[in-house]
Amino acid sequence: MSEAREKHLDELREIVAEVLEVEPEEITETGSFVEEHEADSLRAIEILARIEKKYKIDIPQSELPRMENLKAVHDVVATQAGWQD
Amino acid sequence: MNRRVVITGLGPVSSIGTGVTAFGRALRAGTSGISAISSFDSSGFPHYMAGEVPDFDPKALLRTLSTAEWGRTSLFAAAAARLAVEDAGIDEKVLAGAAAGSSIGTTSGESQVIEALTAEWVHSGLAEVTPAYAAQVPASRLAAAVNQELRLTGEAVTLSTACSASNYALGYAYDQIVTGDADYMIAGGADSVCRWAHAGFYRLGALTEKVCSPFDKDRSGILTGEGGAALFLETLESATERGAHIYAEVLGYGLNCDANHMVAPDPVSIAACMRRAHHNAGITPADVDYICAHGTGTPANDAMEAQAVVEVFGTRPPPISSIKSMLGHTMGAASGFGAIAAALALDEGFLPPTTNYRTPDPELPAIDPVPNESRPAQPRVVQNNGFAFGGNNAITILGRVA
Repeated sequence: MSEAREKHLDELREIVAEVLEVEPEEITETGSFVEEHEADSLRAIEILARIEKKYKIDIPQSELPRMENLKAVHDVVATQAGWQD
Repeated sequence: MNRRVVITGLGPVSSIGTGVTAFGRALRAGTSGISAISSFDSSGFPHYMAGEVPDFDPKALLRTLSTAEWGRTSLFAAAAARLAVEDAGIDEKVLAGAAAGSSIGTTSGESQVIEALTAEWVHSGLAEVTPAYAAQVPASRLAAAVNQELRLTGEAVTLSTACSASNYALGYAYDQIVTGDADYMIAGGADSVCRWAHAGFYRLGALTEKVCSPFDKDRSGILTGEGGAALFLETLESATERGAHIYAEVLGYGLNCDANHMVAPDPVSIAACMRRAHHNAGITPADVDYICAHGTGTPANDAMEAQAVVEVFGTRPPPISSIKSMLGHTMGAASGFGAIAAALALDEGFLPPTTNYRTPDPELPAIDPVPNESRPAQPRVVQNNGFAFGGNNAITILGRVA
């Protein structure tokens, strides 16, 4: 796994944990935000908004349903931000 | 003593017309009140349409209030109330000496004043804030403005139950008269287009780009709107005695709260609210001839609302249309405009259309949204839906005086 990917995952994990009000360690790559952390549509939008702000990118709202766990969030953001992780 | 409550004056200040004649004509014609935003700089926003009232002229409408001392939303409320009283044709002096008050609903109160004050604070520091702005902020001023404009000495209550607030206000005013606490009441709501609502709904993904198309398969959200809606209420006895024109009777209302999610509507709770309103009004679903929908045009609202309607009314519900297709979402004034539309539907014999309707949504239960053109009809009982963030549901029932 590349260092860049690891760094990005940590940054995203930080954002997600803050919005979902849990410790970063609790956010695994494939753990479902909804099932494991009681996320809902409002939290999802907050996550999306914070990511957009941090990386200065626009993520289409249509991507929201896909962003169900940390790995999926990374995939979506990587595509939008042009990361080569 | 069983006091019946009737509506004898209507005061719309809206993007499709000010005054009952202009508003009624526009409702029938399916006029759009949507235009490019002018009340704030919308450059930088991908979306820039709203239902503003650019020709709102409070000086021309108000007689008592000094317009410079009040925020835009209070002026909407007071102007609407003034129009409703003029339409009712009651002597102002009688009103000023009577047990008369107002209940006014809102979502964001003096939002434009708050934005102006915040901008000053951020740009120049707290010391530079215009003191008058601070004085204009409290939402309680909406009802106070109405009472002051009309010299009403009864209650002046502002209810901030968001997008169903006018229905809350109408229910409150109805109770005031039924219980004998008041003989005359002004009920309604007001809100102003503001950057924060536009930005907030955009960020939620609930703001459509240019056209609001409730119940349509391709609906994609609301457009924010503004205005003031007021209804003049009195007892049937008093209206009859003074030979007033009666638009409709307030038969009852129902309120409840989902007590669950902040923005996701709950069809089970909404259906319960409808049943509560029917029970309070002493009617059954079969009595309802038309439903003036909450109909925001978001995928979630319209689906949940239609589902609740079918749950209560069965598979052949009465026609249900959304005037938000014309006005946009006027927030705290929305169910007030809905009540005015319902009263006109009963009085003039037509159903307002859902404009911008193109494609039926196969995901919705079969409903009749009165697509695109108003329809001659003789409804006797009309249900006016209002739902709000926080799951705050309020439904009023109006009927022809029988």
